[in-house]
Amino acid sequence: MRTKAYNLIVLALVMVTGIISPKARANSATSEEYQVKAAFLYNFIKFIDWPREKIADSNYTITIGIIGKDPFGNAFNPIENKHVKGKDVIIKRFKGLKELEESKEKNKSVPHQQIEEIRKCYLLFICHSEKQKLKEILNMFKDHHVLTVGDTEGFLEAGNIIEFVMVERKVRFEINMAAAKRAKLKIRSQLLRLAEKIIEEK
Amino acid sequence: MPIMRNIAIKHKLILIIMLTCISALLLAGTAFIVWEWSSLRQAIVQNLSTQAAMIADNCKAALAFKDIEDAKGTLKALHVEPSIVFGGVYTGSGEYFAGYYRDRIDSSVRPSELKKAGYCFEGGFLTVYKPIILDEETIGTVCLRSDLRPMSVMLKRNAGIIIAVVLIVSLIAYLVSLRLQRIISGPILSLAKITKAVSEEKDYSTRAIKHSNDEVGLLIDAFNEMLEQIQQRDMELVDAKGKLEVRVEERTAELTTTNKQLTQEITVRKEAEKQLRKAEEKYRMQFEGALDAIFVGDAVTGVLIDCNPAATKMIGWEKSELIGKHQRILHPPEKIEKGFSKTFKLHSNNEQGQTLETQVITKSGEIKDVAIKASLIEIGGKKVLQGVFRDITENKKAEQRQAQLLEQLGKANKELKDFAYVVSHDLKAPLRGINTLVNWILTDYADKFDQEGKEHMALLSRRAERMHNLIDGILQYSRVGRVQEEKVQVNLNELVRDVVDMVAAPENITITVGNELPTIECEETRIAQLFQNLLSNAVKYMDKPQGKVEIGCVEENGSWIFNVADNGPGIEEKHFDRIFQMFQTLSPRDEFESTGVGLALVKKIVELYGGKIWVESKVGEGSTFLFKLSKQRMAVKNSKPKTDAVTRR
Repeated sequence: MRTKAYNLIVLALVMVTGIISPKARANSATSEEYQVKAAFLYNFIKFIDWPREKIADSNYTITIGIIGKDPFGNAFNPIENKHVKGKDVIIKRFKGLKELEESKEKNKSVPHQQIEEIRKCYLLFICHSEKQKLKEILNMFKDHHVLTVGDTEGFLEAGNIIEFVMVERKVRFEINMAAAKRAKLKIRSQLLRLAEKIIEEK
Repeated sequence: MPIMRNIAIKHKLILIIMLTCISALLLAGTAFIVWEWSSLRQAIVQNLSTQAAMIADNCKAALAFKDIEDAKGTLKALHVEPSIVFGGVYTGSGEYFAGYYRDRIDSSVRPSELKKAGYCFEGGFLTVYKPIILDEETIGTVCLRSDLRPMSVMLKRNAGIIIAVVLIVSLIAYLVSLRLQRIISGPILSLAKITKAVSEEKDYSTRAIKHSNDEVGLLIDAFNEMLEQIQQRDMELVDAKGKLEVRVEERTAELTTTNKQLTQEITVRKEAEKQLRKAEEKYRMQFEGALDAIFVGDAVTGVLIDCNPAATKMIGWEKSELIGKHQRILHPPEKIEKGFSKTFKLHSNNEQGQTLETQVITKSGEIKDVAIKASLIEIGGKKVLQGVFRDITENKKAEQRQAQLLEQLGKANKELKDFAYVVSHDLKAPLRGINTLVNWILTDYADKFDQEGKEHMALLSRRAERMHNLIDGILQYSRVGRVQEEKVQVNLNELVRDVVDMVAAPENITITVGNELPTIECEETRIAQLFQNLLSNAVKYMDKPQGKVEIGCVEENGSWIFNVADNGPGIEEKHFDRIFQMFQTLSPRDEFESTGVGLALVKKIVELYGGKIWVESKVGEGSTFLFKLSKQRMAVKNSKPKTDAVTRR
């Protein structure tokens, strides 16, 4: 009985804190939300199978790329140096196209080296800052089997694969199966089951 | 198993079968239950583990993406398994993530109880922990808890079934064993029964029946064989016993006989010993008490060994003085020859047992006449001569006296006989003169005498005649034994015929000779006298009108017994002896003119021939005179019998 009561109390406290302190969470909201998102990113790799040629390209590493204005902060710290599918997980941050435009007005085109890097990524998180450049970015690694994840509104419609959404203050995601197929990625049913919404091929 | 020892083989078999059966069943049942229990456990663990694995797999994504609802949904699938009371998903750091409860919340697993992996049976539950591994990384744990009650119910049910099966099978086994045990116990029991019968009744002729060819069959065969052997032995034994009994009986009989014989022998020997002792005593008594002197001397050396009191009395020496001395000291020197007395020599050689006369000399030197009868005897392996000495000094003197007396007597007798003869002879002459004178007077003075005178004269003549006869008789009597006649062969038939003629019996008396008379050797005159006297007596005293006299002879024991029988007046028995005495007559003399000499003479003659005469008579019926003469004495020698007629003298 004591255990039951205790459990109830704990549960109640958790719920209360969650409800009554949205503001308090606001400061660290970014970080907390993105910590979950970072963990999700990491976990996505486990539930998605890349085609063989992609794996053959990158021998020992799985690179998670982040393009644009990085909202994760140090959220990737617990993930770094972890192994997924027998490979090291490396986080690489790329400057967004808007940023590049602003800083390299004289040199309008995206550096070739960066494009190559992005193409090698298994997963590319496209930050909110790249909302306008989605088409451009997608074109950069067409046929390079890159899982694109983002939390920008209308992200999937832009032809990306996974989009984080907030449902009842929890991080959820939607999946664009058509895009995934295009990228020749196999998303496991377990992951699909958890998706809030799945956009099928038209 | 001490209980097993005393129960029948039938029950033993059943017990063995039952025990085996039940223990096997119980073992099998237990093993089955244990196995089932363990396999059930394993199965339940496996099952639960699989469930947990499935849940773990299904919850991977949910946990990875923190989708509690999804996890719950996954866990909800557990409700199809009614035994699962709780299912929970915990995060990698051990925090409760999602859960499923069948009925009660208290069956849940607290994070503190959480284990990484494995299972445990606890509090009636099986709890399985399964790690949720995502890409080689443990991201959480699934915990499933199953209620074990159904399992235990099932186990109990199975145990019950097994027990029931055991009971039923035991019952069947009992019934089956009850029947099957007979296969083994039947023959054994019948064998045991037969064994008992055999041992109780000692009947070795019974046989066990063989039912099978197994070991029991072999046993029965062996038993029968054994019985046969025993029977054979028994018979042999009985036979042997019988033989033995017979032998024992025989031996016993033999032994008894031997024993009896031995006893008899012992008795005889004892008797003999007794007799011997008695004889010895008697001998000693006789020896010591003998009136005759007895000397015992060594037959070889002549040394004296023993003597009796009579001997010491006779010889005057003491016994102690005599013993060890030589026998020659007993005799005077003239009776000694070569160191021994003559009689000793003779006795110890061939004159043994003879009576020899000699002389002894006493201590005082007196000479005594003795008669010695000596015999050689053995005493203790030594030859000794025992001599009996009789002092005959007095005898010798008496003999001399007797001889003198006899001589005198003979002289006197002869004188008397001569006197009697002379007297008789001389008396006859005047008597004859008297008779002649009487005859003369009667002739000459016949006319002068009257009747009375004539009768007196006749009386005188008869008296003179009797006197004459008397004298004749005496003469005859005296002659018998005095005068020796020549003995001749006499045919008695002829002699008797002559005598009969001479007797001239009256007409009314017949004299017959019954049978053939023998011929004997004798003095003819005497025998004639004998018969004459007997016959004339018979004729003389005959009182019957038809007189009969018969002469006969029979042979008996080497003797002749003659008889002269008449049918006269007979003689009273009291007179049987008197009639043979001199001058004895039974009737007045005048009646028969009897002298009383006849029978005395007859007796004398018979006795002269060593015979015997006697009379047998019955008063009024007659008398028989019998005399016996020895055949030997009167035997006829081979000479012709004299047939001359007897002449009266």
